[in-house]
Amino acid sequence: MIQYIFKRIWQSVPVILGVIIITFILMYIIPGDPVVSMVGERFDEARIQELREDLHLNDPLWKQFAVYLSQIVRGDLGTSFITGRSVTSDLMDKLPNTALLAASAMFIAVLIGVGIGIVSSLRPNSLLDRGIMIFALAGISTPVFWLGLMLALFIGVYLQWLPPTGFGGVEYLILPAITLGARSAAYLARITRASMLDVMNKDFIRTARSKRIPEWKVVLKHALPNALIPVITVIGTDFGSYLSGAVLTESIFGWPGIGRFALDAILKRDFPVIQGTVLFMALMFIMANMIVDILYGVIDPRIRMERNASAD
Amino acid sequence: MQAKILKTYGSSILTICLILGAGCVKTDRPQAALSFAISADIRGFDPAFATDIRTGKMMTLVYDNLVHFGESTNIIPGIAHSWKLDAKGTRYTFHLNTSAQFHDGTRVTASDVVLSFQRVLSPAVGSPQSWLFNRIKGADAFMDKGAAIVSGLKNINDSTLVIELEEPFAPFIQYLAMPSASIVNAKKVSSLKENPAGSGPWILLDWQRDGQISFKRNEMYWGSRPKAKKLLFRILSESLARMAEFEAGNLDLVDIPDIELKRWKSKNTWEGRVVEKDELNIWYIGMNCSRPPFNDRRVRLAMNLAIDREKILSLLLSGSGTRAEGPVPPQLMESPQENPIPFNPEEAIQQLKSAGYNEGIQTELWVAGGSEMFHVLEAFQSYWSAVGIFVEIIRSDWNVFKTAVRQGKPDLYYLDWFADYPDAENFLYPLFHSQESMTKRNRYSNPMVDRMIEKIQQMLPGKERNMLIEETHIMIKNDVPWVFLWHGRTHTAVQPWIDGYAPKLIFNAERYIDIHKKEL
Repeated sequence: MIQYIFKRIWQSVPVILGVIIITFILMYIIPGDPVVSMVGERFDEARIQELREDLHLNDPLWKQFAVYLSQIVRGDLGTSFITGRSVTSDLMDKLPNTALLAASAMFIAVLIGVGIGIVSSLRPNSLLDRGIMIFALAGISTPVFWLGLMLALFIGVYLQWLPPTGFGGVEYLILPAITLGARSAAYLARITRASMLDVMNKDFIRTARSKRIPEWKVVLKHALPNALIPVITVIGTDFGSYLSGAVLTESIFGWPGIGRFALDAILKRDFPVIQGTVLFMALMFIMANMIVDILYGVIDPRIRMERNASAD
Repeated sequence: MQAKILKTYGSSILTICLILGAGCVKTDRPQAALSFAISADIRGFDPAFATDIRTGKMMTLVYDNLVHFGESTNIIPGIAHSWKLDAKGTRYTFHLNTSAQFHDGTRVTASDVVLSFQRVLSPAVGSPQSWLFNRIKGADAFMDKGAAIVSGLKNINDSTLVIELEEPFAPFIQYLAMPSASIVNAKKVSSLKENPAGSGPWILLDWQRDGQISFKRNEMYWGSRPKAKKLLFRILSESLARMAEFEAGNLDLVDIPDIELKRWKSKNTWEGRVVEKDELNIWYIGMNCSRPPFNDRRVRLAMNLAIDREKILSLLLSGSGTRAEGPVPPQLMESPQENPIPFNPEEAIQQLKSAGYNEGIQTELWVAGGSEMFHVLEAFQSYWSAVGIFVEIIRSDWNVFKTAVRQGKPDLYYLDWFADYPDAENFLYPLFHSQESMTKRNRYSNPMVDRMIEKIQQMLPGKERNMLIEETHIMIKNDVPWVFLWHGRTHTAVQPWIDGYAPKLIFNAERYIDIHKKEL
């Protein structure tokens, strides 16, 4: 297993390098000048040139890239053009906020999504099943920004049960977590149902039932683990994307996370912040995928066996 | 058996909901601090880098200036309780308030002022705001030739300061009230971005990046102390989120976005609680005067004649502005005229014909992406096409847009200008003097206008200067380098428990001294 993990880490090196190269080149291809965001309205051309020199924006591209790469290797993502703060420390400041939101959203998504997915699969094509699936379809189709605003409006403004937006205790977390998790919940419900239906028709379930094992045991112990592989994949990729920041949810609810940080940087052409956050997001995504792969092995011994065979 | 699973799942979800729900009881509002919203985070607390309005607003809370902007166009004493300008108009003598002290208890002295201004000029600091002080004698030598001091900045003693200018410059006293002219504690300049070192009426409590900024009252403040004890600025980028927070009672003031204005004006509950304010700004369409077709005055005039601004203001913008008569807002002129370019499409067609554009004109209008005015621009588009000017709207993000405008790329661009200080010069020199317009804006150049603006800069306030301002205003209006659109009017909703709020003409005149919550 450890060997396998190392192999996966090694495999992700070219991906990370690719991300670094692509974001770096993109930065310099897209139109717009970072200096324009820094100088305000009444700055003269000579000072702009000085500033460009100071920021090494006039150096040849390869030189800028070499400097950037050597910084990254040292764990330094540079300093923001706009605030002059270290990108690494800003990201570390915002990571806990984003992680908290991501974890809560995922918790809600799994609780509701997997739950109603199982329930739905137990009575396929019943009224309950159809109801749940319509609900899930609506969940997948609802735009995040709309759901967020509606929740803020009804629960925050009209009912006043929770603060509409903001950042602080648990009461501030609930609405953004529901907003962010709703899509995953709906998607998970559909995947779980489909996967469960597939498994419930398998021979080993019939065998289990014929052994007079109680039905709840059949569902939760025999069927569910076998149905979990596609579910884990969805959880993993969604969680990876949540961890790299939820731009819309964070903007609507004023949540100081990585998504908003990235969006702001893009609007201001704050190159070091954009490069830093994109690289960080890529790392999060790669890590989430890796954990999913490892979990496959934990859940399904067949996959573990295959790997061991190929690793040997 | 399946039913049992359903029941178990259902009841456990219900339990979790109840537990979560228990935490969500209606909270008592309002909170203790005065709460406001800003749309994005600030750059920090270093005055040398305060280039935007949001950052400038925060500067004025924690720092003092030599002088401050009053409610209107007036200048009021700050750290300087009095000042004198000599007959030549180049030498200011400031007498400082001896009771003024920084938040750490040390006295504010003339040498702090000298250092604060020198910092903004210093090449090592690299401030984009050096233009504020580059007219002081010796500033060039200090900036470019490595002189150790700025010769025109002298602290005679702890409470007397002399500033000498190269030549008379009327707006200078207003420059001194701007955010970047804040006075910092000379001993604590190493980490100003994070840790403001000022003497202002508020002390920074906490700054959560992208979250909120809070201040507490400076109990030792030497001037008139704020009535409220705490200020909280929440960073909410979505205007709808800000409105929701206000309606939930979590914000004390909020600027109502144009699209929401009708709804708010029709609500009886808010009658008398929406405060109107005519802003010192202008919205315009810049026309590139250096190349065809807009190098022809007749074409530019036709652009102005073709649109019905009055109608657009009332129908599409719910009255959130007044028609611009020319470049300078009426509040900054002694006897503003009421003679805007009329809506006259026939005349527009005539002007185009006489300019030789019988076949019509194809052109592009650049807009910054986030603009909420898109529907308005589409209305313009149809007005212009009716007279034969076919405009394609090019939408790009703010940075690309700004770079393109600077490089003189767009034929037409939609933009605004907000006053830095309440003087007409602020609407003339940076926008229409060829030195600025030819390098940064719509490439307008009229040597006569240049000379008049330079004269306005040098003349001392008075009747003669006011007349020259009006003449320049009319001359620019006749040259029509822009489509003059409107001066904005903001509508601020105020919670019923708020007292003492009065809008100020300039953004950094608001220091939250009188505003407070009523005892309910």
